[in-house]
Amino acid sequence: MNENIKSGITFGLIGGLLTFLFGGWSVGVLGVLMGIGLGLALGPRFNPRDGWMSLAKQALPAAAASGAILLVLSLLQNYVIDPAIGQNFEDLDVVIPANLVGVVGGILFTCIVTALHGLSEEWERKGKIILLGLVILAFPFVDKFTELRWTAQIIFALIFVILGLGLNIVVGYAGLLDLGYAAFFAIGAYTTGILSSPQHNIFLNFWLVIWIAAGVGAIFGLILGAPTLPLRGDYLAIVTLGFGEIVPVLFRNLIDVTIKEPLTCWILPLFKIQTACITFMSHEDLTAGEKGINPVGRPILPIIKLNEAMGIELVIKIAVLLVALALITFLYIRIWRNGNRKVGSVASYAAIVAAILIVFLPIPRTRVAVFDNVLGIIQPGEFQSDNPIPWYFLIIAIILLSIFLINRLRESRLGRAWMAIREDELAAAQMGIDPVRTKLLAFAMGATFSGFAGAFYAAYIRGIFPSVFDFSASIIILCCVILGGIGNINGVIVGGLALMTADRLFLPALKDFLKGLLDHTVLPALSSNPTLQAAVGQNANPILYRFLLFGLTLVIMMSVRPEGLVPSAQRRMELHAGEESGGTPVAAK
Amino acid sequence: MLELKDVHTYYGNIHALKGISLKVEKGEIVTLIGSNGAGKSTTLRTIQGINRPRSGSILLEGEALEKLPPHEIALRGVAQSPEGRMIFPRMTVMENLEMGAYARKDKSGFDEDLERVFNLFPRLKERINQKGGTLSGGEQQMLAMGRALMARPRILLLDEPSMGLSPILVELIFEIIQTINKEGTTILLVEQNALMALSIANRGYVIQTGEIVLTDTASKLKANEMVRKSYLGIE
Repeated sequence: MNENIKSGITFGLIGGLLTFLFGGWSVGVLGVLMGIGLGLALGPRFNPRDGWMSLAKQALPAAAASGAILLVLSLLQNYVIDPAIGQNFEDLDVVIPANLVGVVGGILFTCIVTALHGLSEEWERKGKIILLGLVILAFPFVDKFTELRWTAQIIFALIFVILGLGLNIVVGYAGLLDLGYAAFFAIGAYTTGILSSPQHNIFLNFWLVIWIAAGVGAIFGLILGAPTLPLRGDYLAIVTLGFGEIVPVLFRNLIDVTIKEPLTCWILPLFKIQTACITFMSHEDLTAGEKGINPVGRPILPIIKLNEAMGIELVIKIAVLLVALALITFLYIRIWRNGNRKVGSVASYAAIVAAILIVFLPIPRTRVAVFDNVLGIIQPGEFQSDNPIPWYFLIIAIILLSIFLINRLRESRLGRAWMAIREDELAAAQMGIDPVRTKLLAFAMGATFSGFAGAFYAAYIRGIFPSVFDFSASIIILCCVILGGIGNINGVIVGGLALMTADRLFLPALKDFLKGLLDHTVLPALSSNPTLQAAVGQNANPILYRFLLFGLTLVIMMSVRPEGLVPSAQRRMELHAGEESGGTPVAAK
Repeated sequence: MLELKDVHTYYGNIHALKGISLKVEKGEIVTLIGSNGAGKSTTLRTIQGINRPRSGSILLEGEALEKLPPHEIALRGVAQSPEGRMIFPRMTVMENLEMGAYARKDKSGFDEDLERVFNLFPRLKERINQKGGTLSGGEQQMLAMGRALMARPRILLLDEPSMGLSPILVELIFEIIQTINKEGTTILLVEQNALMALSIANRGYVIQTGEIVLTDTASKLKANEMVRKSYLGIE
């Protein structure tokens, strides 16, 4: 059978089987996603010189095969699976459009994405970015419309993507194996919790706290990095493991903190000098221990009240924001175009500060009803739990910022120094690289991004509990990095998304699916054997096997594709050098 | 330019260098010859700051190096093409050369030096995008030397540049060392291949179990009976 058709069938099968778990509109969303995936897989197999039209045509058979499989499985889901798991048959006005969107959209997107490969390299890249942007933008709205409720879970996956990106600096770039990275996540989250909750009656704005959390993370990165400096390899990993254990325990126990100034309280009395003992903190409950800090403050933004605003107010609100954005963009581009970098950067900082002030300053009341009404529209509102869309876009923004910063870091002198240290610390020192400074900065930079993630997490969950940050969290973050491809930003994103959506979306859905199947089909059939019935009923919960499945995935990955799902070119070369040249890779030492 | 005064270096309890004193003047090629385990590489490692001398002093144009960490010593213009080459295996040839120039910030000087290195080692230019680890032994040696030159060092320390190379390549490498020296770089050359080393050097030191036992001009050392017997294998 044709290789392309095989791929089409594979993608159709994956999409179709997933519809078994999610049902409803999922076939539409999955169809389109699988179509894009199939297009990405097919594109490079065709000759780009054929032109985009021809490429789209060449992709058609595979796309059609994928669509057909999807349709068959989706109908199977509707007519066979749903009754078997005790679900009602969905309305035809969901089934018909959902299948239509899934099959037609899937085929269409397969052809479009494949056709991109027929364009010039630059346009192919642009086309892919635009397509990706559209998918990212449209996802939460589609999700809301189709009532799949995936966004809230995807946000968790995206938190782990940021954590993975941060850990990737330490492990992937600088080559320092860190088994306690969740400690920095905890530090970011607790900083946020302490600075914006009733725990200490401090209610700082989230937009300020997130930077403080990143900063505190960086400082602790330096502090925890310092003792590991003389260590290498395994020893370093063990020390970081220790930190990963210590930090959550510390947060658990910071419930009765007294800090006294040592000179006046202990040292001077030794010399029989009577002084008043200065106490900084007396029996403070810093972290509320096992109870956790709750509730944590949430971000505010003017557009958040969109749901409440109605009719003309909504229009004005959006118009005001768009005009402001356009103005800032226009000024920004104008000044940068003129080539005066200094003025440009000053102006862009000014624009950012102005934008922040416009967005976050409370708007004064004017006593004139007309003004108040207009101004009231852009009054900031708080992010809410029942509406994941603002959270989604916030975390996407944080990820984009992180990717930008990390790319800049990697290209910088510091990034070069990290790579050199990873390759050979001694040789790096002989190039004039200070190993101490370079390694400390790797820890600090890595911890900065977990500070972002921690702040977001605390605000999103609205509470923080020490059990979240234990060893398993560190390992899961590390798994995301390894699964996706160490040292590669795209790989880490794919790894984080794949692992965490599997954990947050796929396993719970599988659990519900199995439960339905058992209760309605399997268990009644086993009624003659009550022991077996009980055993099957109790053990058929995939969430119980979460870590087993993680472990299994890693073992299989490491043996089949050790460089990760989307490896960096360097690692692929290194791990497969032997296969290509028919010999063992050349070691340099 | 570089002066070692009564340097003692230990590995744990093992007294590896028992009071080494030597001097390299500006523009010279000085060679340090000796058999396996005599302390040649240890001397270089001590100059580089990788091993710390327990006593004695190391002066680079009057400035004491013996208390500085390796990267500080590198920043003061001491570059090394180390034994076993120690190139960055997963970086390309170009990236390796860029790392060599890490300590420098002048872009124009970088381009100039890059051209100079490619003139000396045309092979490197051919392999510019290849990973360091996939080069042949001779090419790795060239890369290590090129990388050291990219730092535009005041003094270049070469540790066994002939190790593991074919005789033709050894000759080529030694010719290049002479060229580098003529272009104005001072060189301290450590070699087992004493005949080759002495034929290009101005002066030489003979090291035996951690002590300098003999020093003279290269041509006189070549004629010295002890050297001829022990290191040149000529009766």
